[in-house]
Amino acid sequence: MSKKQKGGQNLNSYQIRRPLKRMFPLFILPTFLCFIIGFIWPFLQGIYLSFTDFMVPSDAELTVIPAIEAAQKDPSLITEAGGSFSYYMDAMFQNYRKAFEDPSFSRAFWNTAGFAVVSIVAINVIAFAIAYALTQKMRGSNLFRTVFFMPNLIGGVVLGYIWSMIFDAILKQYATYLTANSTYGFWGLVILVAWQQIGYIMIIYIAGLQSVSEDMLEAARIDGANGWQTLFRVTIPNVMPSITICTFLTLTNSFKMFDQNMALTGGDPTITLAGGAQIKSTELLALNIYSTYKIGRRWHGTAQAKAVIFFLLVAVLAIAQLTATRKKEVQQ
Amino acid sequence: MKSQYSLGSKILTCFFAVLCIIWMIPIFEVLINSFKSNAYVNMDAFALPNSESFVGFGNYVKGLTFGNYPLVNSVIYSVVITVLSVGLILLFCSMSAWYIARVDNWFAKLFYYLCLFSMIVPFQMVMFSLSSTAHELGLNTPWTIPIVYLGFGAGLAVFMFVGFVKGLPLEIEEAAAIDGCGPLRTFFLVVMPMLKPTLISVGILQTMWVWNDYLLPMLVLDINDYRTIPIHVDYLKGSYGTVDLGATMAVIMLSITPVIILYLFCQKHIIKGVAAGAVKG
Amino acid sequence: MKKIISMLLVLVMMVGMCAMFAGCNQEEEKGSVYYLNFKPEADEAWQKLAAEYTELTGVEVKVVTAASGTYSDKLNSEMAKGDDAPTLFQCGNAQGLLDWGDYCLDLSNTDVYKEMTTDDFNLRDDSGAVKAIGYCYEAFGIIVNKALLKQAGYEITDITDFASLKQIAEDIHARAGELGFDAFASSGLDGSSSWRFSGHLANMPLYYEFRDDEVTKQPATIKGTYLDNYRNIWDLYINNSAADKTSLSTATGDESQAEFGTGKAVFWQQGTWEYANLVGEKYNMKAEDLQMIPIYCGVEGEAKAALCCGTENCWAVNAKASKADQDATLEFLKWVVTSESGTKMMAEQFGPIPFKAAKEPENVFFADANKLIADGNYTVTWAFNHTPNVDAWRAGVVSALTAYSADQTDDNWAAVETAFVDGWAAQYKVQEGG
Repeated sequence: MSKKQKGGQNLNSYQIRRPLKRMFPLFILPTFLCFIIGFIWPFLQGIYLSFTDFMVPSDAELTVIPAIEAAQKDPSLITEAGGSFSYYMDAMFQNYRKAFEDPSFSRAFWNTAGFAVVSIVAINVIAFAIAYALTQKMRGSNLFRTVFFMPNLIGGVVLGYIWSMIFDAILKQYATYLTANSTYGFWGLVILVAWQQIGYIMIIYIAGLQSVSEDMLEAARIDGANGWQTLFRVTIPNVMPSITICTFLTLTNSFKMFDQNMALTGGDPTITLAGGAQIKSTELLALNIYSTYKIGRRWHGTAQAKAVIFFLLVAVLAIAQLTATRKKEVQQ
Repeated sequence: MKSQYSLGSKILTCFFAVLCIIWMIPIFEVLINSFKSNAYVNMDAFALPNSESFVGFGNYVKGLTFGNYPLVNSVIYSVVITVLSVGLILLFCSMSAWYIARVDNWFAKLFYYLCLFSMIVPFQMVMFSLSSTAHELGLNTPWTIPIVYLGFGAGLAVFMFVGFVKGLPLEIEEAAAIDGCGPLRTFFLVVMPMLKPTLISVGILQTMWVWNDYLLPMLVLDINDYRTIPIHVDYLKGSYGTVDLGATMAVIMLSITPVIILYLFCQKHIIKGVAAGAVKG
Repeated sequence: MKKIISMLLVLVMMVGMCAMFAGCNQEEEKGSVYYLNFKPEADEAWQKLAAEYTELTGVEVKVVTAASGTYSDKLNSEMAKGDDAPTLFQCGNAQGLLDWGDYCLDLSNTDVYKEMTTDDFNLRDDSGAVKAIGYCYEAFGIIVNKALLKQAGYEITDITDFASLKQIAEDIHARAGELGFDAFASSGLDGSSSWRFSGHLANMPLYYEFRDDEVTKQPATIKGTYLDNYRNIWDLYINNSAADKTSLSTATGDESQAEFGTGKAVFWQQGTWEYANLVGEKYNMKAEDLQMIPIYCGVEGEAKAALCCGTENCWAVNAKASKADQDATLEFLKWVVTSESGTKMMAEQFGPIPFKAAKEPENVFFADANKLIADGNYTVTWAFNHTPNVDAWRAGVVSALTAYSADQTDDNWAAVETAFVDGWAAQYKVQEGG
């Protein structure tokens, strides 16, 4: 048995692998087919659609095609655009250009960025504080944990309706209402999301805090560290992985926020910018993509282009976050 | 020393007791307003029901048929979709994960990395195309939409299962194989029981997702015939935006009560499952 | 052996498929109707009518109704279904034509079109093809409770223009405490009510501007020539009402309906479609107490104005459906507007319909509308059907109007004008694709 370590492992797992491989259609094919239907195909088609003009995906036409036809009829278009390259590139990326030129999209981007920063800080600080308190010796901490987590079970749409009623009732006493201006809507959403997610994040912090070894804390205490020193020098560095996970989760959650945004304010109030552009002032990116689509067929392609930009943004953030985590893990 | 420590702890307990009561105010608000007539909800949502505003279970009765759509149907469809979707996800994704971890050829690797990739893709990226694909393939009923959920939810589930399977000792499976168990029996009799904690974790996370999901069923299902609970609540806004807040609150109360009761019964599992799932994810 | 079996299997499958296709074809030759209806309140009536037609002719008629506010989403998703897409749907305005023009069959040479009495409510494209036919029309104005008006010491004939309307309304408002009712029902700007002002009331300045400038197609920009009149009438509404001006933002349509229905207000800006609600068991108002008068806003010559008549109810037949289905659909439509049960149902649900065989409706508001026209007054058409990207434009106007109502300053009115005029130009650009 002593020789098993190296060669034996391979040989024996081969006993599992070979019959399993034959069971390919049963074990992995169903998931893979569904994955194609539910993800791969829509993803690829999504990229394609962002370069097209479509009412429904089946009648999509590349935006460059009408431009080619127009140029055949009237070659001066190309010279006007400054050469065929810039002419065709512009036609090709027409949806992307429209997306970037759309003031509601940039507004939604800054809304989302601001919302992400505020909610990440608020949720993590409060959740960590609660988790820290609940992991101290305290009566009733299990009950409290149960209560704090409860809002998580309620869906975003329902939450939106509950809180819009509450905010309206509060603001009514000051003769105003939630969608009177974008500040209310913004902070309303922060409060709603904090209420919903603090419990979830708290659970993760509790798990992290519980894994900090008693011995280490004991050692710090014996060395004469006070409560704050122990917290900042021993506890927090040791729960760094949890902090990374939680920041990541709150970051992606706030970027993908849709249901709560839609149900709470629906993007209202609409404001009229100088020049007449009317935009929804509390819209986040996900909702903006959805409402762009709903404007009408000439915006379907642009909505999809916005979605691609949105995806790239989320992907960059996620990759940055993962790289940061990797580095931290190596350091430890 | 000891009595002082417990005094601090008592203060903390009191503080948290108060905080928890504040935390519950929104749900309490829903409860009290579900017993008030609409005009009084509009007037002062914080007032307790009194003899004038109290309508008994009137709102609940109204809520059951609100919006020309019986709430019971929404509940049934939500349950059907959630149970089928989560069931499919647990079964097929754990099988795939075992295959990926144990076979480990190019295809398994490719699938695994695609799953990882899918986790960072926001739903907005695929939604327009997914809804038309789902229509074309007839995946627009509560009985077939779980296929879409399996497809879009596979990423996280496969990722979590693979992480766990890789930590399982090979020896047990090998022993089963040597005893003449085929892959199917090995999987269901040996691997599946060992996966139990992860199954619970994934199950809970996916249930919370599917049960509360709004946009996917909204885009894919035929909304006249099939509404899930979140869609139903959204449709309470009547024609031209009228809202009967009293009845809306009653419907919300009806829809969250079973969830909360279920949660109170298995909160240990749920909290543990979430913690484990998040650390992996 | 195996090979032979598998070949046989393939053969059987192929034969089966052929049989299936043949079956499909046979069914398709007959044609069927799929109507995507956008009026939930008429759903039941349509279902009944469809069943009757199927029984009569054997042609299958499926009626699906989009939940209120979801019609365009529903149309989007249903049209994506290809062969199972609706054969009959609504396409009611410029925006609809822009989105769905390709899907609208030219109806000019159809029997149902030939049954029509007017071309006023039809939608044509640039080439003049009839893309959608208006199968009914609606009218809106100010509904007056004549009994209350009498109690206040006035007759309906006393109101002939903006000045007299203003004088009477202000007098009633001043004596509201003593009379027990006020002049206007609340002008709520909640989503359930705001369309009455951002849509219907905004029609007044739009209509007069388009009349002056002879605008017949959707204009890219507007000037807002008559916005002062818009302000006049809006001020009149909110200054002479029991509703608190600062809380209009949350006042709902139901609230204003209740105020009028229970006799708390003399005037209420609404349309013909409210008739059934008012005389129905909810409020039990008497038909003889109700009259609809034009919206006066101080424009010269408006004493000769009639009600605002128009429609967004236009049928379009899916141009991408199979020929058999199109024919079945057109046949069905012809039956609806000519048969006894069809015209009866249309009269009950939609009032007077512009078809030769139409039945007289009992709705007194239509009688008001018809009488005003018969007396030689000019119809105020629905100029707001030209609004570009209508939801966004209206939302912008409502926001500005809300701010103005809480604090009626000139600066705040300037914001309304910006939303109205500049917003139009911006939304036109958005609608045209940016």
